[in-house]
Amino acid sequence: MPETPAVSVQHLTKVFKGSLGKGAFRAVHDLSLTVHSGEVYGLIGPNGSGKSTTMKVILGLLRATEGQTSIFGVPSTEVGSRRSVGFLPENPYFYKHLTGRETLCFYGSLCGLRGRKLNERADEMLVLTGLEDAAARRVGGYSKGMLQRLGLAQALIHEPRLLVLDEPTAGVDPTGSRVIRDLILSFRARGITVLVTSHLLEQMQEVCDRVGIMARGRMVREGRLEDLVAVENQTELVLENATPELLAEINALIQTAGKDARLLRSGRPRTTLERLFIEATQESGKP
Amino acid sequence: MNTLPIESAANPLPPKVRFSLRRVWLLARATVTQLVRMKILAFLVVFCLLAAGAGFAFSVINPEQQLNLLKSVTLGALQIFSLVIGVVSTALLLPKDLEDRTLYTILSKPVPRFDYLLGKLLGVLLLIGGGLVVMDAVLSLVLWLRQTVLLDAYLANLRSEKLDSPEAVAQVREIVARQGLTWNLHWAVWAIFLKAAVVSAVALLLSCIASSTLFTIVITFCITIIGHGEALIREFFLTPNLGGTFNRIASFALAVICPDLAQFDIVDGVIAGELVPWSVVGDMTGIAALYVTVYLFATHLLFVEKEL
Repeated sequence: MPETPAVSVQHLTKVFKGSLGKGAFRAVHDLSLTVHSGEVYGLIGPNGSGKSTTMKVILGLLRATEGQTSIFGVPSTEVGSRRSVGFLPENPYFYKHLTGRETLCFYGSLCGLRGRKLNERADEMLVLTGLEDAAARRVGGYSKGMLQRLGLAQALIHEPRLLVLDEPTAGVDPTGSRVIRDLILSFRARGITVLVTSHLLEQMQEVCDRVGIMARGRMVREGRLEDLVAVENQTELVLENATPELLAEINALIQTAGKDARLLRSGRPRTTLERLFIEATQESGKP
Repeated sequence: MNTLPIESAANPLPPKVRFSLRRVWLLARATVTQLVRMKILAFLVVFCLLAAGAGFAFSVINPEQQLNLLKSVTLGALQIFSLVIGVVSTALLLPKDLEDRTLYTILSKPVPRFDYLLGKLLGVLLLIGGGLVVMDAVLSLVLWLRQTVLLDAYLANLRSEKLDSPEAVAQVREIVARQGLTWNLHWAVWAIFLKAAVVSAVALLLSCIASSTLFTIVITFCITIIGHGEALIREFFLTPNLGGTFNRIASFALAVICPDLAQFDIVDGVIAGELVPWSVVGDMTGIAALYVTVYLFATHLLFVEKEL
C-alpha cells in the first residue's frame, strides 16, 4: 500500500480577484508538489513568488481557485486536516497580555488538550524551545527570537505530524537562527515532516532533504538537494594521501591510474543552493 | 519526550471537527482578557461614576425630579458606554487578529471558523454584560441611598411645615417608591445590554466585509441611528403609492438590513416610572436573540469564504 504523502498539492492555481477596477492577480499557477512523510521540504523563491499563498492554501486559510491540496490525505478545506499540522507564520505575534505558558496552554486547549496533559505538554515545549525561564513573562516583552521560538512551541503543542514554517528565522539574530535550525533538525530526527520557506539559503541547504524553487507562481526546479546542486557537465575527483607533486601532475595523469593515490569518490562538484536559486529564478524571468 | 506524534497512522483521526462549546468559551475568555487588559473596564467605571456624580450635580425641586434625573443621566451613560464599547471593540478584534497573524495561528489549529466568530462575539458580550452588572449594582445602591435620604428629608420638611397628613405622606412614599429602586431599573439595564448585543453583532458582520476598522465603526453607528427609526422606514415602504421607486427600494433595503432598535427603547419609560411588563421583557429578549442569530449566521457565511 503506497504511503500517504504528508502534503499533496495537485495543479494548484490561486487567483486573487481584483477590486474596484484592479485586475485579477494570479499568485500561483498550476503548481504540483508532494512532501513525503518524515522529510524536510524547503520551498524557496523570491518575494511574491507564491510561497506563502501556497502555504495558506495548504493550511486552509485560502481557497484554491483550481486544483487540490491535502494533508495526510485529508483535503485542506476540511478543518480536520489541521489536527495533524502545526503552523508558524512569518513574524508571529501572540496575545501580548498572556505569558508564554498561558499562550501555550491557550493553543493547546484549542487543540483539545486539557488538565495535566496540557500542563505537561506546555512544560515540555518550553524546555524544548529554551523558554522555561521566560514562561511567566508576558509575551509583550519577548524579543523577536523568543517570539519565534514561542511560535514553534505553539506549533508543536498538539504533537503534529507536519510542521509548516514560514520564514522561521526572519529577523532573528545568527545565534537564534542557529537554535531554530537545530530544532528543525531535531524534528526530522523525531520523524516529524517539515515544510519550510526561508530566504536564508545556506540554512535551507543544511536542513532540507528536498527543495522546490518557485518563481512567478510556478515551480521552476524541484528535487533532492544533492541532485539539484550537482553540476551536470563536470566531474570531481576526491583523492586521499595526494602529495603536492601528484596534484601538480594530476592534469597529465588524469587518463591513467595513480600509484599511491586512491580514488575515493567520483561525482559532480557542488554549486551552492544560493547560486542555483539565483540562476533558476533569473531564467524563469527571461521572456 | 515522546518520539512519535500522538496522531499516528495506527490511530486514524475522525475527519470532522465539530462545534465545541468548550472551545468557544476558551476564545471568549481570551477575548475578555484581551479587552480588559486594553483598560476598557477601567474606562467604563470612571465614565459611569462621573455620570452618576453628575446626577447629583443639578439643583432640583422635589424628590421625584432628583431620582428621575439620577436615573436619566446614569442610564443614558450606560447606553452610550455599551454601544461604544460594543461597536469599537468588536470592530477592532478581527482586523487586529488578522494584522498580528494571531488569526493564522488560531485557524491553522483544528478550530472551525464559526467557533472563532462566536467566541469573539461572546467575549465582547461578556465584557459588556459584566460591566453592566457591576454598574447596575452601583446604580441600585446609589439610587436606594438617594431615595432613603430624600424621603427622610422630604418627610421632615412636611412635618416642620405641619403638612404631614397621612394622605400627603402616603403620596410622597408612593412617588419615591415608583421613582426609586425597582425591578424596572434592572429591566432597563437588560434592554441596554440587548441593544448592545444586536449592535455588536452588526459590527462583527461589517468587520468581515470592511477593509478598515474606521469604516466598520462609522457604518455601524450609522446603522444604529437608522435602526432607531426603522419603524418609520418600514411604514414608508409598506404604505402603497408613497415615494418613487428608488426611495421604495432604498427603504426596503434599509428595513431588511438594519435592526429595529426601537424595540429595546424602554429606558425612557423606566425613567418616567412606568412599569415594564414581563411580556415586554420576553419579547425584547426573543427579538434580540433572533437578530443576533441572523447577523451571526450571515457573518459566518461571509467569514467562512474570507481569504485570510
